[in-house]
Amino acid sequence: MSYKIFKINEDLKEFMPPEVIDLEEKATWGNPKRGVMDLPYAKELIEEHSLCAGCPESAAFRYILASLPNPEDTIIVNSTGCTSLVFPHIALHTVHSLFGNQNAVASGIKRVLEWRFPDKVKDVVVLAGDGATVDIGLDMTLQSFFRQEKITTICFDNEVYANTGGQESGMTVKGHVFKMAPKGKQWDKVPMWQIAIDSGCHYVVRMTVSSPKKVEKVIKQAIYVAREVGPTYIHLYTPCILEIGLNSDDGLEEMRRTDKERFKFFEYMTDEAKEVIQRKKEEGLL
Amino acid sequence: MSQPKRRRINVRMPAIGGQGAVTAAHIMATAADHAGYYAVSNPFFGAEKRMAPAESYVRIGIDPIYDRGEVVYPDVIMVFHSQVITMGKSYTMPFYSGIKKNGLIIINTEEDLLTDRDHEYLESLNVKVFNFPATKFAMEIAGTELATNMAMLGAFFGATQIVGMDSIEEGIKARFLKKFVASGGTMSLDSAIERKFKKKLELIEKNINTAKAAYEVAQEWARDQGMEVWLPKPQEVAKV
Amino acid sequence: MQKTEHVQYNRAGQRVVSPDYLLFEAPREKQFMTGSEVVKEAVKRASVDASVSYPITPQSEAAHLIGELWVEGYVGVYFRGESEFGVMSEIAGCAMAGARSITTTSGPGTLRAMENFPMWAGSRLPIQLVLMARGVNSPLSIQPDNLEMSFLLDTGCMIWHAENAQELFDMILAGFVVAEQPDVHVPLITAIDGFFISHTREAVMLPPDDIALPPYNPYKSPMVPLDMEMAPGRFLRDPYVMKSNYISYAAHTSWQFEVRAAIERSRPYAKHYLRGLIEEFGDPEAEIVFVASGTAAAQAKEATLMLLHEEGVKARVVRLKTIRPFPTQELIEALRGAKYVFVPEFNVIGWLEREVRRALYGNLDVPVIGSPRVAGGMTMPPEFIVKEILQFLGKEVKHVV
Repeated sequence: MSYKIFKINEDLKEFMPPEVIDLEEKATWGNPKRGVMDLPYAKELIEEHSLCAGCPESAAFRYILASLPNPEDTIIVNSTGCTSLVFPHIALHTVHSLFGNQNAVASGIKRVLEWRFPDKVKDVVVLAGDGATVDIGLDMTLQSFFRQEKITTICFDNEVYANTGGQESGMTVKGHVFKMAPKGKQWDKVPMWQIAIDSGCHYVVRMTVSSPKKVEKVIKQAIYVAREVGPTYIHLYTPCILEIGLNSDDGLEEMRRTDKERFKFFEYMTDEAKEVIQRKKEEGLL
Repeated sequence: MSQPKRRRINVRMPAIGGQGAVTAAHIMATAADHAGYYAVSNPFFGAEKRMAPAESYVRIGIDPIYDRGEVVYPDVIMVFHSQVITMGKSYTMPFYSGIKKNGLIIINTEEDLLTDRDHEYLESLNVKVFNFPATKFAMEIAGTELATNMAMLGAFFGATQIVGMDSIEEGIKARFLKKFVASGGTMSLDSAIERKFKKKLELIEKNINTAKAAYEVAQEWARDQGMEVWLPKPQEVAKV
Repeated sequence: MQKTEHVQYNRAGQRVVSPDYLLFEAPREKQFMTGSEVVKEAVKRASVDASVSYPITPQSEAAHLIGELWVEGYVGVYFRGESEFGVMSEIAGCAMAGARSITTTSGPGTLRAMENFPMWAGSRLPIQLVLMARGVNSPLSIQPDNLEMSFLLDTGCMIWHAENAQELFDMILAGFVVAEQPDVHVPLITAIDGFFISHTREAVMLPPDDIALPPYNPYKSPMVPLDMEMAPGRFLRDPYVMKSNYISYAAHTSWQFEVRAAIERSRPYAKHYLRGLIEEFGDPEAEIVFVASGTAAAQAKEATLMLLHEEGVKARVVRLKTIRPFPTQELIEALRGAKYVFVPEFNVIGWLEREVRRALYGNLDVPVIGSPRVAGGMTMPPEFIVKEILQFLGKEVKHVV
């Protein structure tokens, strides 16, 4: 089991910072049943977050990392944007290379790991914002779906380019005024979840991160399906409280509100995906 | 002191896309390589299209060859199609521009296509012109005009006498037996030829026969012209 | 003789031999093939793990042939990407995951992919890019021209420039060895002038194909491979900019210097495996010197012979095999005694002339003439070079018909 890479040499232990010792002793490794319920007790794989106070994206990160069924063999690929601020704080192998190429990099990593480790399961998960996934990187996002890459793509949709100061994105809702759309956005929000289905994803979900348990289930299902069948896509609403003028404690309320409208829970799965999910349920892993 | 003997032949092959001038160039170079010469071949660098101008080049010599790309100053020009001359389907105008003194032009034609001015200019450079009906020849011997390039190839070696039929056979076999990639277009043409001939070996045999017959005709023509062998044998050079 | 005690095989079943044995000692046989085919032959003997391809003339054939090697089991991972930008990102992913990786591109593809090259270098990925240079738009050109090499000079990648198919073969093999040295570990761009090499058929000497380079060991990388088999490394793949703006610029600056320093550290390895960073050709006493690389050097060699045999003019060629690192000291030494330095080039701006001037400035006082120079797909016949030289020297030009 490769989580042994977190084991610290006994002789050096006294020099190690406590958060690193905690990673060895208190993080949940080698347990596919780990989940968000561990959050209050176990050492999290994210040390801290470098996002705005109260940012729902930070909650999404914590839930996702707590839900990974196989963190000891999971590689995370990210892209430029608010999300990229967080990766240095994650205790797994993560990579930021360029803006928008995350699914291309992930494709290369996944294929090589399959070739190098034919007897091991190595999950590759892409975590990127809506600009990276749907605007600048749409080509590479979709092409990885077309090629049936066995990766899970998770899009944090905050409906804006937040990290660069609040510009309109393809995921902005029509009419909303942001920078670079001073008259309001002239066209509709891109139905990325539908495009993902049409492009060959085997498991697609659109949701907010208002319910941690629900996020856990979806993440696990997406990873299990990607491992065996093909690409999976999770579209998460993580509102930018800053850019839409909310307070730090308003994020959850905003998500609960949109749960009832444009981010109403939506789930799609192919028959092959259904079979995997059913089997994993029977195995007690879901 | 006698005229310094040639140490290099630079060949330019203006043709029409689809005639197999690239293949002819590669076989020519392979044959020369087999005979012990230094040899390099390449196509014209650009877009190739059916029936549009196409050109390829071969350099053969007894010294290492560094020169690459288009042959701007050829010793030999092989015109694969009359349209090179009659319709100006050539990258150079006139098609013989740059021809060197004492050079040779082989034209795939049954009749003389050159004007009096052309003849006058070429004679002033002591350039010989060999009108050789390669396509007609290919039809007669191989039963297909697709073997035109083999006839031209045979004519070149017959006229210049630098390699024998054994090396030409070797070049043809290397081309058709080994997996070969010149371009996607060449590959599809290959399969067209293959369908036509059904069997690869039959194709090789017909190609060799065509080249051989052309070789003999050209050899006789060269003898009539009093032409000498164009390059010293590599073995002779090695002895010196 | 090899010093290995027991025989090792790579995943393709080829016997693993030392780079020195493969490059210098193994018996070689003559083959007659194009530059594209030679890429296949080199990759076949290089224990390559991954390659990603995309069609663009003139590199497509080489990329097809690497695909054949994948079918035959010599390459582990191979697929066609969606664009050069995608391909260079995909091959980056392959290298990050610990694969010996190679890809190919040309002209507009190089520019489409551009953002990736500094990323490769900064990520210390020893990817080998076989660059078959061609014209860059606009107007549309699908002919030889190496302007794109100029754009790549400062990407943090090593750049080598092969003269012919033989050197391309040897450089691809040597390239992996040099690029993967733990104290180098940066990408290598193995450039050729497209068409002039890729589409030209010539004799090459090849070692047997049942022997191959030792496989890549990703755990010797100065960066942790992304496979979760080692504790996560925290550097560029984990940028400081995300932690502290203050640490960020210090880290970024030193990292950029470090990438360039890594290229400098490749010198002794390149010198060994390429048998020197430069090649000198012609009369060592000649005062007329061509400084060139790639096909321009080949044309200059031919012109040098022509000048000597037909005009009685002595000249010589100093051919640069590496452009990054630039062989500054070797060049200065080689140019002592030169009266005129001509830099023939296949591009409109004369990037090599600039490089040569920069290297010589303050070191050697000799006129540098950026000529002859052709672009956009033009051939540079040796007759043309001879004419330029004769005209420069004020001599009569007579040999060209």
